[in-house]
Amino acid sequence: MAASSPSPVEIIPPPSSNGSSRHSAEGNGSPSKARRRATAQSMAAGQRDISVSEFFAKNRHLLGFDNPRKALLTTVKEAVDNALDACEEAGILPEIWVHIQRVGQDRYKVGVQDNGPGIVKKQIPLIFGKLLYGSKFHRMRMSRGQQGIGISAAGMHGLLTTGKPVKIISKVSKREPAHYYEIQIDTKRNVPEILNGRGEGVEVPPNHEGQKAIQKHGIEWIELDHGTRVTIELEARYQRGRGSVDEYLEQTAIANPHVAIHYTDPDDNSRDYQRVTDQLPPEPKEIKPHPYGVELGRLVTMLNDAKEPTIAQFLIGSFSRVSPSIARKLCETIKITTRANPKKIGRHEADLLYQAIQKTKIPAPSTDCIAPIGEELILKGLRQVVPGEFYAAATRPPAVYRGNPFQIEVGLCWGGVSPAQRVSREGLSEMLEESDARTLRQFLITTFQGLGADAADKILAAANVGIRVSPGRLKAAEIDHLHEALQNVNVSEGQSMNVFRYANRVPLQFQAGACAITQTVMQTNWRAYGLSQSRGSLPSGPITLMIHMASVWVPFTNESKEAVACYPEIQKELRLALQAVGRKLGMFLRRRLRVRHEGERRNLFLRYIGEVATAVSRINQADRKKLYDQLMEVAKKRTAEADVELDDRGKPIEEDAVDFGEHVIIVSHEEQKTAETAKNGTA
Amino acid sequence: MAKQPSINTNDTKTLKRLRELASNVVEAAAKKRDPHVDIPTRSLSNVKYNKTRRFIEMGSNTNRRQLFNLSQAKSYMQTMLVASGATQLIEQGKTTSIRGLYYLLKHTIEGTKEETFADQGECDPVIEDCEVLLNSLREELHLYAQKRGEMVGEIVIADSGDEIDCARMGSGGYGIPSIVEPSVIEFRKCNAKFILHVEKDTVWQRFNEDKFWRKHKCILTHGSGQPPRGVRRMLHRLHNELKLPVYCLLDNDPWGYYIYSVIKQGSINLAYESQRMAIPDAKFLGLRSKDFKECQLSDSVKINLNDTDRKRAKQIMGYPWFAHKKEWQKEIKLLLDNGFKLEVEALISKDISYVTEQYTPARLKAKDWLD
Ligand SMILES: Nc1ncnc2c1ncn2[C@@H]1O[C@H](COP(=O)(O)OP(=O)(O)OP(=O)(O)O)[C@@H](O)[C@H]1O
Ligand SMILES: [Mg+2]
Repeated sequence: MAASSPSPVEIIPPPSSNGSSRHSAEGNGSPSKARRRATAQSMAAGQRDISVSEFFAKNRHLLGFDNPRKALLTTVKEAVDNALDACEEAGILPEIWVHIQRVGQDRYKVGVQDNGPGIVKKQIPLIFGKLLYGSKFHRMRMSRGQQGIGISAAGMHGLLTTGKPVKIISKVSKREPAHYYEIQIDTKRNVPEILNGRGEGVEVPPNHEGQKAIQKHGIEWIELDHGTRVTIELEARYQRGRGSVDEYLEQTAIANPHVAIHYTDPDDNSRDYQRVTDQLPPEPKEIKPHPYGVELGRLVTMLNDAKEPTIAQFLIGSFSRVSPSIARKLCETIKITTRANPKKIGRHEADLLYQAIQKTKIPAPSTDCIAPIGEELILKGLRQVVPGEFYAAATRPPAVYRGNPFQIEVGLCWGGVSPAQRVSREGLSEMLEESDARTLRQFLITTFQGLGADAADKILAAANVGIRVSPGRLKAAEIDHLHEALQNVNVSEGQSMNVFRYANRVPLQFQAGACAITQTVMQTNWRAYGLSQSRGSLPSGPITLMIHMASVWVPFTNESKEAVACYPEIQKELRLALQAVGRKLGMFLRRRLRVRHEGERRNLFLRYIGEVATAVSRINQADRKKLYDQLMEVAKKRTAEADVELDDRGKPIEEDAVDFGEHVIIVSHEEQKTAETAKNGTA
Repeated sequence: MAKQPSINTNDTKTLKRLRELASNVVEAAAKKRDPHVDIPTRSLSNVKYNKTRRFIEMGSNTNRRQLFNLSQAKSYMQTMLVASGATQLIEQGKTTSIRGLYYLLKHTIEGTKEETFADQGECDPVIEDCEVLLNSLREELHLYAQKRGEMVGEIVIADSGDEIDCARMGSGGYGIPSIVEPSVIEFRKCNAKFILHVEKDTVWQRFNEDKFWRKHKCILTHGSGQPPRGVRRMLHRLHNELKLPVYCLLDNDPWGYYIYSVIKQGSINLAYESQRMAIPDAKFLGLRSKDFKECQLSDSVKINLNDTDRKRAKQIMGYPWFAHKKEWQKEIKLLLDNGFKLEVEALISKDISYVTEQYTPARLKAKDWLD
């Protein structure tokens, strides 16, 4: 939110007549007594419910609304994540429509529709109008959403910045009509209010009539048997490049090959991501928490809420992998009877129990609660979105950190053209216009994935435009030059690896540096696999890595869910997965180098044959042309043999003997070309 | 080199070898085989010391060079280029320097940016390869090296028919050409009784200025360090045809020893030419390791040995033609013990003409030399 826009606290009247927030209460304190500490009484006056709007205002950075650009992304993201979760939970192959429209200066309307199960009428207000309401927080099951804040926070941001309610259409079955609701959160009481139909919402009549009614409300609805469409209007900024909506959808398509996405951006460009599999991910099972993963505070709460009459039953019933004998052992360790009432366990005993748990050997949790993407689909997904020459994937077996099962998988794509090379002339000029980068150099680096400072300098030098020119000021001819330079300058050397991070199939687009995934990638020695890399940084080259952590509980570094915390168990699995694809890449690059050498070698022979033929015919007047042709034939024969010549260690190399193992795709140049033209054709 | 060499029997022989080389390529190509040449190896591993003939001979090892081998393709092509260049020269009855040949053959390979030869350093070894490959001498390929080395003294020769009195060469001396075969150089009249070969020009000047050769009835030569083939061949002919003993006055360091070794036994690189170059009877007059003491030289003329010097000295000690010679072992050991080397010019520190008036005459008289 821009600093110039009014603070939300100012729009919404304060919740109680006398007080304002604790913060302003202090500010209003009598200046003469400024040095005096507050008394219990004065403090009591400030102690009260915190209004939702205040909570939101204070925490918007945690919730992903810290700036207008990110607000747009977060809104789309919350809606799409929910849509995918809902579809998958209902066993429906997801199809998602995303439409972003510009409705004014700095104002956008985001509509996200899914073909999911829909939401029953009575739940709608709670979901979209109440913070911390959701179905996913209390269970141990892999899903995208976790906290029950997402979509209502987005709705609130829209409300606070534009005053417009969240608009929802939902249809639960073919037989029932769709319902339309306009919902607004009552920020005083954290309760939702349905504004239309006298608090009941309205039915949408079928077919033509319905479409007309919907249009009147300024929204859209794609006719489906069931599904949900959420429309939020908000103050935001649309800008392509890193950390954009476009990037989020693209990355989502990679990690969710079973999803079809139809995206229309504010400039009315549309992009479709087709699904590459009709196979839904297996339904993840819900599991009880494992004792190792439960923190003391949570243990105390669980004890208090216990429904079981005895501590032993509580332990066996609330946790996974606690057998009667383990429960008995835990009780013995802390010297309480197995029949003790869990509700009566004191703080001290709880602490002892917590420690006993850590010291007792308890089997690892079952891991069938995680649904990895799988190597096959990673390869398909990557290939669908990222053009390249070589693809490899590895899914590690499940492992456990702090009692939480998790699984790491990695996909790698090497080669192909960089995003900078793929951009069209129109796309480039649009991006230049949108950019708020101060200099052209900064524009290049922040806009294009994998484009480093060196590469940017090279491009600018080739385009013959100044580094410090402001991107918006470029003349048409200069844009032409820049576009040409982007296409022609070989930046694959100066390019640094693209790392797409995912947690439970959701792209993580920010805080890369703080993330265990990025850190592990940097700590891996990529030089061993034929890439150049300076110590402790990302390797360079035309490579895209997608790394997925699937878990019932992803340990984020903070609430904004953008970086995975470093646990040694997680980093170990990451390392092993990276090494698995790294080795395959190394094999490919070595072979490629050799093939290139063969090509050079053939050329070399061809080059010298002419000289030899001339020299020989000068000495003995032999027919130069005949000799040349004959030598040429020998050269062809020889280099054909040379293809299976000796490797570095002098062992014969057979082409097929290069065994990449499973889960690798190598794309021939012809295939690459046809894929490219196909893509350009649909674009 | 005014004389126009006609196609003589020698040239016919060389041309025949060149054409054989070429027809091997044609034959291989016709049979769809890899063309290749087997080039006698020019390295220490492929030389033998012939005890009876007392010089280094080339062994029978060869290196195969193939057109269709990544690391050899270019040098194969270059070998053929040199062969065709030599053919041209012979057919046209012309000779050229190795630098001239380099320019004759250097051009950009069609359809590339690559040069046939990057520099002369790339061409010279290929010429030597062709010599051994064709078993022909450089002159027989109508090539000569840049001449370095001069001669002065009691002898009259004819060079391409022009009579040259080496006693009347002023301060400059007669520049020894690179081809000194009887077809070019004839010996007319000789009053000299021996040859004094010195390492370099500066020392040679000293001897010439003092007219050492007149006083001692000799021929005075130098070879600007390692003597080129022309000089070595000239020494060889003078020694063998006119029966003149050869005395060498070289620096007291491993390089000086090496030059002596090349004059006496032949060089490793050109072992195939030993027979017509090596002078097994050549004597090493000095400078000797003992000279610092014997001549009471001052400390300031010492030059410390470095690691390469020491390594080279030990290597030379191990040469089969030095290994069994006690005197030589003592000499080199003393050099190492001294820890310093001496240039001939060091003698000048005693007196400007000490080397010509005292040192050399005394050593000759006393027959104080190494063999
Ligand atoms: N498109 C949808 N179709 C069906 N149900 C939905 C849809 N969107 C949301 N829901 C339901 O509403 C609940 C609340 O969603 P919300 O995004 O607020 O929280 P969440 O997804 O549980 O967690 P998070 O805060 O991490 O996003 C979800 O748990 C889900 O049950
Ligand atoms: Mg959500």
